[in-house]
Amino acid sequence: MLDYLRLEVRRTLRDKSFVIFGIGMPVLMYLLFTTLGAGSGGAPMEWRVSAMVGLAAYAGLGAAIGVGNGLAEDRSLGWLRQLRITPLGPVQVVVGRGLTGTVTVLPAVGAVLLVGALVNGVRLAAWQWAALVVLLWLGTAPFTLLGLGNGYRLSSQTTGLVNTGCLLLLSVVGGLWFPADAFPGWLRALSSWTPANRFADLGLSVTRGGAPGLTTVAVLAAWLAVFGGYAVYAYRRAARSV
Amino acid sequence: MAGTAVPRGTAVGFSGVTRNFGAVRAVAGLDLEIAQGETVALLGRNGAGKSTTINMLLGLLPPGSGTVRLFGDEPAAAVRAGRVGAMLQDGKPVPRVTVRELIGFVAATYPHPMDVSEALELAGLADFGGRRIDRLSGGQAQRVRFAVALAGNPELLVLDEPTAALDVEARRAFWHSMRGYARRGNTILFSTHYLEEADDHADRIVVIDRGRVVADGSGAAIKRRAGGSLVSFDLAGAGTGPLSGLPGVTAVEIRGDRALLRTSDSDATVRALAGLDLIRGLQVSPAGLEDAFLLLTGAGGDTDPGAENARTPADHGVLPPKETV
Repeated sequence: MLDYLRLEVRRTLRDKSFVIFGIGMPVLMYLLFTTLGAGSGGAPMEWRVSAMVGLAAYAGLGAAIGVGNGLAEDRSLGWLRQLRITPLGPVQVVVGRGLTGTVTVLPAVGAVLLVGALVNGVRLAAWQWAALVVLLWLGTAPFTLLGLGNGYRLSSQTTGLVNTGCLLLLSVVGGLWFPADAFPGWLRALSSWTPANRFADLGLSVTRGGAPGLTTVAVLAAWLAVFGGYAVYAYRRAARSV
Repeated sequence: MAGTAVPRGTAVGFSGVTRNFGAVRAVAGLDLEIAQGETVALLGRNGAGKSTTINMLLGLLPPGSGTVRLFGDEPAAAVRAGRVGAMLQDGKPVPRVTVRELIGFVAATYPHPMDVSEALELAGLADFGGRRIDRLSGGQAQRVRFAVALAGNPELLVLDEPTAALDVEARRAFWHSMRGYARRGNTILFSTHYLEEADDHADRIVVIDRGRVVADGSGAAIKRRAGGSLVSFDLAGAGTGPLSGLPGVTAVEIRGDRALLRTSDSDATVRALAGLDLIRGLQVSPAGLEDAFLLLTGAGGDTDPGAENARTPADHGVLPPKETV
């Protein structure tokens, strides 16, 4: 399974659209959001930090959900079928795919954090940086499962569209691009129950020097269960036809 | 079928296997046993049930009824144990990975794989190891799929229409490698719709049609059974009724105004036709391989609108439904 993981990570990192849209785009957006219209002294540090976390979360979410695109592609190529006649078990294939998403999240999240530290002068304690990376990494699990579910359930082309749609919707409503504080009241209330918002909150709580709240963890755990159930359902359905 | 003195185990066993897709019966009671070390061709037209048979054999598709065994075990178990390698139809190149990376990965999933360089060599890819698979030509990509099947050094190699995208030279190289692999004592099952290919490269040919085994034996035996001559003439408006009863005639086909008779005794048939004054444009020719195959699979009966005159192979004496050679 480690070999499978290595193969898939390699394939993902060689994917130009992943490197451009998955890693480059969030970095670019972060730089734009924190320099445009920010006045002569630049954006306030508070905004530089929260935008960094928001866009790192956006990058992580995109990489995680994007694992489904590769999966759907492999399904349409007949490669998943070919894997079924190797000694590699079906569960190893799914888990390997899931872990691929988890691994490719790291460069995406890391790039935004790095730009925050080096370009935008964000200063955090060492433990905060470490906790930020770990939480933004682990917190992508629900989105990986959502991506896998879509990848098993939909055709290759539809998966790309649906995953991008999910990514944009979750990111905007979750307040990853623009802080949810600026939303009207009803949307802010809705936002705080969405997975992307709670995912970013994992990171924001660390930058404020605290631990994530219990509600945040509970809401994310609930979404993990929902998307996990969806992924299992989609996988079972697909297993009959792969 | 050389050197069969040593009793061997059974590699593949189908007994009473059926499989439907909706109302379509793809496989209709298939019985087949392949001993270890045999090279067997599964011959049939498109839609005869070859791929369905292969998918059930590999555990990709459960049989509707009956049992499928690989080395005496469930297909999935034999696959998990790394005893099977397969080249599926319609596999497309895996993008963003080099040939060597992919073959190395597949090999590593097997317990006793082949050396990667050896697999590349056998598949004719020695010079392409560093190339990305999505940048290869169609024929080269097909060789990659062959290498994927070989990489694990499996005891049973299953190849579903393996030469479809290959040119003549690549085809020859492919069969050369396949026979080399068979000589190591491995079992090989390949499907094809070319009788010639089956005849040239298999010890044994299993002809399937409409999901059933219609003939099973060596290439020579299949050809002998399907042999005979082809007698054709212009009907010029004559009735076709008495034709199937003429001496030697095994099948009748009407194409437009021309009648084609397959016969096991062309002299007797021609004499009888002369008696009926049906000799306009008369031609007698030996039945070729393709004709033999069409006869075996009863394809003439399918394509001919006047099908009541065309008999299915099982109806007449020349072709017993099944005979193991």
